[in-house]
Amino acid sequence: MIVLSEIIGSANDESLSEKLHQLQHQGGVEIIKLNVSDTSRSRQKVITDKGTECGIALSRSQKLYNGAVLYLDKHQAFVIRVNEEQWLRLSPIDAETALELGYHAGNLHWRIRFDGTDLLVALEGPAQRYIDRIAPLIDSKRVVCETPDAC
Amino acid sequence: MKSLTLSVMPGPARVGIGGPVGSGKTALIEKLIPAFKQRNIEIGVITNDLVTKEDAERLRKSGLIAPERVAAVEAGACPHTVIREDPTLNIEAAEQMALKFPQIELILIESGGDNLASTFSLDLVDQWMFVIDVAGGDDIPRKKGPGVLQSDLLVINKKDLAPYVGVNFDAMYAEALAVRENRPVAAINSRSGEGVEAVVDFIVNNLLFNKTAA
Repeated sequence: MIVLSEIIGSANDESLSEKLHQLQHQGGVEIIKLNVSDTSRSRQKVITDKGTECGIALSRSQKLYNGAVLYLDKHQAFVIRVNEEQWLRLSPIDAETALELGYHAGNLHWRIRFDGTDLLVALEGPAQRYIDRIAPLIDSKRVVCETPDAC
Repeated sequence: MKSLTLSVMPGPARVGIGGPVGSGKTALIEKLIPAFKQRNIEIGVITNDLVTKEDAERLRKSGLIAPERVAAVEAGACPHTVIREDPTLNIEAAEQMALKFPQIELILIESGGDNLASTFSLDLVDQWMFVIDVAGGDDIPRKKGPGVLQSDLLVINKKDLAPYVGVNFDAMYAEALAVRENRPVAAINSRSGEGVEAVVDFIVNNLLFNKTAA
């Protein structure tokens, strides 16, 4: 198995981008697609878009990111592409509901961010799994939810 | 071609083992230690307990592993705090172990017994498994706790006890697979060792690339 053990730079780096561009035309660039949550893993087995099975084994001081180049030579390159994060948008109707929603989000250890008065929850699984956990708030229309593909 | 060699493995892989109190996490480790030894894979173990070193002492006295290869972390609070919210103590323990024993290829990090919401930070471990047992109730998979859903491997232990606690094991196993959308589930009996090789295979295949290539 191919083992990729270092990040040599970013695909946006001037020194790498031209070489990658040329390799791309030769079909030599293999893309490794990762979910955001998997970028924290120092070590993992992955399959590229061309079906090559690789092991990633980085030192723990290195973190994967979108565009990280893990290998590059005259014939072949391996580049990380991070899938776009999917967010569940939750809109509480008032401050009281917002407090309750915030309590649940914290209690469930959801990864969140704020957008005005809305709470955005990073989806690391099906949206329904998250919606089920706060069903009473949604069923009572105290929280309006919007999934990435709109509910 | 240095980056593509098979031997470059910067430090040991780390695998978390979580699950409720009494589900058999330590018993599983007692079976994993000789199984890895059999495959010539050098390991270390870090245990987490609330305010004691109970599990570490049990492993040190087991005779299965050199006592100095077992480190103990006292959480001092809810066990998940030191494997998820702030895993610094465990990261430090793992780094110390890797420095002290550079030949170690794998560190198993056992969480203190916790509830079904327990998960590991991926800053601490590369992969983690969650151990439940049939005696805890066949409804555990249905409860869809984060530990059951998000773990890289769900381990259902004590499958031999199913007939004695009124559990239809096959149904429980099928339900576990369904809620995890067919992500891996291992059925084991950590007393007899049944099924433990599948857990070892999972770790080797997913993390110890230089061993799989052999």
